[in-house]
Amino acid sequence: MSDNFHIEVFSNGLTLLGRVMDDMSSAAMSLLVRCGSADDPPAIAGAGAVAAEWLGRGAGQRDSRALNDALDSLGVQHSTNAQSEHMQITAAMLGRNLPAAIEIYADILTKPRLEDNTFGPCRELIQQDLIALEDEPARKAGMALRERFFPQPWGRCPYGRSETLEAMTAETLREHVVSHMSPDGGILALAGKFDWDAARDMLAERLGDWQGLARPEPAAARPAGGAEHIAKDSAQTHIALAWPSALCSSERYYAARLGEAVLSRGMGSRLFTEVREKRGLAYHVSANYTSLRNSAGIFVYAGTRPALAQQTLDVTLGEIARLGEGISDDELARAKTQIRSSLIMQSQSTSARASMMAGDWYHLGRLRSLAELSEKIQAVSKGDVMDYLREFPPRQFSILTIGPEPLDTTGLALSGEDA
Amino acid sequence: MQFREAQLDNGLKIIAEVNPSAATLAAGFFVRTGSRDETPNVAGVSHFLEHMVFKGTARRSAAAVNLAFDEMGANYNAFTSEENTVYFASVLPEFQTDCMDLLCDILRPSLRQEDFDIEKGVILEEIAMYEDHPHFRLYDNLMRRHFDSHPLGNVILGSAESISNMARDDMQAYFDRRYSPTNVTLVGVGNLDFDAMVDQARRTCASWQRLEASRVAEPSRPVGSRGVITDAKLTRQNIGLMCQAPSGQDERRFAAQILANVLGDATGSRLYYALVESALADDAQMTYSPMDGEGALMTSVSTDPEKVAQVLGVIDEVFRKFIDEGPGEAELQAAKNKIASQATLSGELPMGRLTSVGFDWVYRSESVPLARQIDVMFAVSADDVLTLAQQCNLPNATLLTLGPLENLPA
Repeated sequence: MSDNFHIEVFSNGLTLLGRVMDDMSSAAMSLLVRCGSADDPPAIAGAGAVAAEWLGRGAGQRDSRALNDALDSLGVQHSTNAQSEHMQITAAMLGRNLPAAIEIYADILTKPRLEDNTFGPCRELIQQDLIALEDEPARKAGMALRERFFPQPWGRCPYGRSETLEAMTAETLREHVVSHMSPDGGILALAGKFDWDAARDMLAERLGDWQGLARPEPAAARPAGGAEHIAKDSAQTHIALAWPSALCSSERYYAARLGEAVLSRGMGSRLFTEVREKRGLAYHVSANYTSLRNSAGIFVYAGTRPALAQQTLDVTLGEIARLGEGISDDELARAKTQIRSSLIMQSQSTSARASMMAGDWYHLGRLRSLAELSEKIQAVSKGDVMDYLREFPPRQFSILTIGPEPLDTTGLALSGEDA
Repeated sequence: MQFREAQLDNGLKIIAEVNPSAATLAAGFFVRTGSRDETPNVAGVSHFLEHMVFKGTARRSAAAVNLAFDEMGANYNAFTSEENTVYFASVLPEFQTDCMDLLCDILRPSLRQEDFDIEKGVILEEIAMYEDHPHFRLYDNLMRRHFDSHPLGNVILGSAESISNMARDDMQAYFDRRYSPTNVTLVGVGNLDFDAMVDQARRTCASWQRLEASRVAEPSRPVGSRGVITDAKLTRQNIGLMCQAPSGQDERRFAAQILANVLGDATGSRLYYALVESALADDAQMTYSPMDGEGALMTSVSTDPEKVAQVLGVIDEVFRKFIDEGPGEAELQAAKNKIASQATLSGELPMGRLTSVGFDWVYRSESVPLARQIDVMFAVSADDVLTLAQQCNLPNATLLTLGPLENLPA
């Protein structure tokens, strides 16, 4: 599990990361630059999401169709998404096609056309995504919970609101993209079968004179937290709740991941056992750790028929609370094996490696080898997990439910009440 | 990379693509049974049974099964389709023996009444969950409409009613008939010891009783009807079209894969340019499903209710133009390159490779290295794709929409 990373920081502030994997045939790229949803100007919220579409509509010598055809002809699997903290561009392909793909992405970053005539359809697609959320209550619950849980503007719905999308123009969005999507602080990670020296030289040439300084980060406003119910005549009641956890960059991170694993990794985990296996209350119940740079949480979701929703919530909260009473040696050992295995499994995916590298650099400013990650996980003791749980007890909950009837959340320590 | 195969006296086949340089291994049981093999009184039993397989055996409780998988850090699960039920796990090579022992054991589940009753609730939850996902509702109803009385129209999950009424002994009877070793293949890929795998299967599975497990294979006769399901609670209109396509045993399946990509790949295709780029629809895709003796091409589109007439017109135009001209050389090459990339990326993950190797065997009793499959796919010509498009009769596909609309536009 030893890793030989390559790191190159260009003078414009862009960091290039590389991990050559000669056993693979594919290569993957993960690029993080500013211009995520948190950077959206409030009046045109949804800007990042529309920009993610717009960036694909022509760059350099290529118009929209020619640009997409160029990626298609190389067989590139690609996506561009506005996440909270970044614009994320990912691409995976046969390793031999990486140099040609780099040429295309260099154009997208440095010479996006952002033309008036392609703006309308891009905005309209995001307007449709926003409307379609109404038909997908599980996804909507997740987004609405992030909005309550994370400090603003980091939690905001990436699609904005109908009035902010309406207020957006080609001109306002172009100005936003040009001023925010800069190389400064950007991260480009490559993993798989490729020639590092050649890729670095090519990127230095194509992206070296890309200019622009990172804008100051937006000020963080306290999250709304608390409880909200959205009434909907849905088949299931969708329960989403979260409470704070240790940041990805903190020393408590590894204990947090083990706590999460005991709660929800595998079918023998506590939530799955108590909610689904013993009681048959839900098909989907899970807890997931999520970290931004300034805020982290454990996010729980359960979908259940309305008549069983209160019981599902109560059992779920009972298991979350019981974590604080301690975990067994067996549970800790299982969780460690699971995480070690999954690290090795991820190491076989060039896309997963590229994403992990970009994430590490963003959160930690350095790269962790799989061996280091494995050792850190192995070193966590039961006491460490308990210390973590004492520092981040399951309190200050934010909860969001969608369904025919609201649930009783009076017993829940909501955020804002005990902060 | 080495291909190995073996067979037990009771008919259980064991195959593997051994790759000693892989970091992990994946193994799975491929059972040739699914909703198409069900009678109406046990609609959904294949999938319900898939859940029950994890609920314990003569020597393990339900909880013990889950903990055993978790103790090896396995990535494990199962899925049920119209015609296959697959149980799989991916582990580090050091856990091969434990993993095989567990997989072989759970394939003879106890189906205890108490577990059956609890799991029934989980299945009812799963049915309710899909009710809140319009895309899945559309798929189930389109399959039913397209295949009509053919058993491929059976809904995989069954209905709340069929599940509620199902008895434990009905499931046992179905299991006894369908999980005969002659109907099951044990598949392995990655860094594994094949001889040890066969030895272990022999010790655990040789006692499985061999029974007749045939599949009724009357050909389907889709008529290309059109229908609407009105749901005023939805905001978007979901459109599905389905037409006949080459089966999983048909050599034209590579051409069908290319056809679906040229017409309906999500990031660049005829439908993408005609509908998504212009924002007439937020999603438009075509997928190809090769099945046992049958095949289907499904187009799915999500749009504004008021744009349905326009969208249907555009789709029709795209299809008619394509069956006149076929693919251009550049789009043909792009489709092939995209399919090759996708297959390569998925083949680099043991789980991805496991399903390919398993289904090659289940459908065609063959083992073909990925590189050779890609070569065969690259040999498909524009004419092959054009001919196939004409044979599939795209413009006369079965059509179903789900959303607020009350009537289909004329």
